[in-house]
Amino acid sequence: MPVRAARVGRRGVIGAPVAKAAVVAKAVTPGPSPVAKAAVVTAAVTPGRGRRRF
Amino acid sequence: MTETSLDELGPVDFVIVEFPAGESNFTGEMASELLSLVDTGTIRIIDLLVLTKDADGALDAIELSDLEDVGELVRLEADLAEMLAEEDVVHLAEAMDPGSTAGVIIYENLWAAPFASAARRAGGQLIANGRIPIQAILAAVEADEALETVGG
Repeated sequence: MPVRAARVGRRGVIGAPVAKAAVVAKAVTPGPSPVAKAAVVTAAVTPGRGRRRF
Repeated sequence: MTETSLDELGPVDFVIVEFPAGESNFTGEMASELLSLVDTGTIRIIDLLVLTKDADGALDAIELSDLEDVGELVRLEADLAEMLAEEDVVHLAEAMDPGSTAGVIIYENLWAAPFASAARRAGGQLIANGRIPIQAILAAVEADEALETVGG
C-alpha cells in the first residue's frame, strides 16, 4: 500500500480495525417515514423530556 | 509539544466518511463547512487523508498535497501533523467497502479544550467517552413507548 514514507513503521493511534458504523438511513426503515422518526429523536433530546425512571 | 500546551490540548477524534462507488457528489460544500469549523476555532485539523479501496481490496492513501483542485483546503496543508501511521490506514480501511473512496480527518476539539483542561486541573481523569448513535436514541424512545403501551 503506497503511503508517504513518514507514515511507515510508526506506531499507530487508531489501535484496532474500525467497524463500519450503522447507516442511519438504513436503520430507520422500515416503519414510519425517516422524517417521522427524526422527529421522534428530536423530541427525545428536547430539554425537559425526562425519561429516567430509576 | 511543551508540557503546557499538552495540558491545554483538547480531545482528539477521528472521522472517516465513505463515498460508495459512483455516489460521490462533491460540490465544495464539505470543504467549505470544514474550513468554517477551523476558521471559527471549533476544531484544528491534525491530519487528513483520502483513502481509496479498489474492487480487489487494494488500498491507496492520498495526501492532501497530492490531490488536485482542493481549492481552499490547501490552507490546511501547512498545519497537518501526519499523525496517522501506515497501520492506522489499514485499520481505518477495514470499514470501507471495495470500490469506495473515503475521507479521514483527525481533529482536535478546540471548543472542548478549556473544559478538559479545567477538569484535569481539578484532578479529574477521563474514564470513558463515546458517541451515542441516533439509532440507539430511537430504540430507547421506541422501548419507552412500548412500555407505556403495555402499562396502559
